Amino acid sequence: MGRFLLLAGAVLIPLTALILLIKRRVRTMAERYRQTPGRFPSSKGLLMFLLPLPVLFAAIGSLARGNIGGLFDNAVCYGLFLGGALLLRRGLRTEAEYDRRRVARAPWPFKTLGGGVIALATGLTAWSGANHHPAIAVVFALAALLGCYLTYGFDPRGAKRFTDSEGLDTTDRVLEALAQAERSIAAIERATRDIGNAELNGRLRRIAAQARQILTMLEEDPRDLRRARKFLNVYLDGAKQVTEGYAKTHGRVAAPELEDNFRRVLATIEEVFAEQQQKLLETDVTDLDVQIEVLSTQLKREGVV
Amino acid sequence: MPAVLRKFIGLLLIFATVGVASCQALLAPWSPGALAIFSLLPH
Repeated sequence: MGRFLLLAGAVLIPLTALILLIKRRVRTMAERYRQTPGRFPSSKGLLMFLLPLPVLFAAIGSLARGNIGGLFDNAVCYGLFLGGALLLRRGLRTEAEYDRRRVARAPWPFKTLGGGVIALATGLTAWSGANHHPAIAVVFALAALLGCYLTYGFDPRGAKRFTDSEGLDTTDRVLEALAQAERSIAAIERATRDIGNAELNGRLRRIAAQARQILTMLEEDPRDLRRARKFLNVYLDGAKQVTEGYAKTHGRVAAPELEDNFRRVLATIEEVFAEQQQKLLETDVTDLDVQIEVLSTQLKREGVV
Repeated sequence: MPAVLRKFIGLLLIFATVGVASCQALLAPWSPGALAIFSLLPH
């Protein structure tokens, strides 16, 4: 047993160091190409899908030998590992989303749940698969839980609240407005599937992409929400209604005029969305200009410049 | 504790528990053969 631990240590320590080194190098290389800050890295949490693969092979081996008990044990353990890994990955994605936003509710503790399920799977595998004493299996489970915590951390707690310029807490209102806008975009995308015209579909896809970009800007700075109210309540909702109506009607009635009208409306919507995006960007520039002006005035007054 | 060290220890623990338990579950049916590998190590 002692020799086994020595061998495992000799293999695991350099392997872990190598993985950390490669991850760091890849992240440094990827920084140059990163578009949106806080985007969820696709490889995070994949280790928990790969490490338990021997349990799946053990289940297949049990099946090949006709050992139903072994097959059941290993299949349950692998299922738990898989469930835990999925929960963990979902938790990591939710955390990235939480970090990106300036206003957000406290996320569900998916990471903690995932870590707990992985720890349970590890303990069960050590007990039933590797035939360890139950006390040793509990140690395996606790060490796995600690490993998950140290590697991935626990879930963020507490909502990121937002107060407007009058000091009112508008967190729920902001989140509801953003969720409603997201539902409208999803409805436009659903309706697009029922329209069999490549040109119109292309326009609708562009409109949905533009709307998502505007929504991302609003999520990052909810102060813009007041300025974008017309976009959310009138244009986005209108675009949704028109698209859904066209998707329902054009299949039953072949009317070239209707198609032309719809094309014109979509062109107008595209223009309006582009304007809205430009306005939000300009507001950011104006805000920054004002901040620079205030700072330089303060520095001059205090005799620094 | 620095973040890199924390992650290093965490990964080490995950490999030592999840990885080892999984491999042992795979090797358990052939355990006499698996143990023979370790008997080849120097004393």
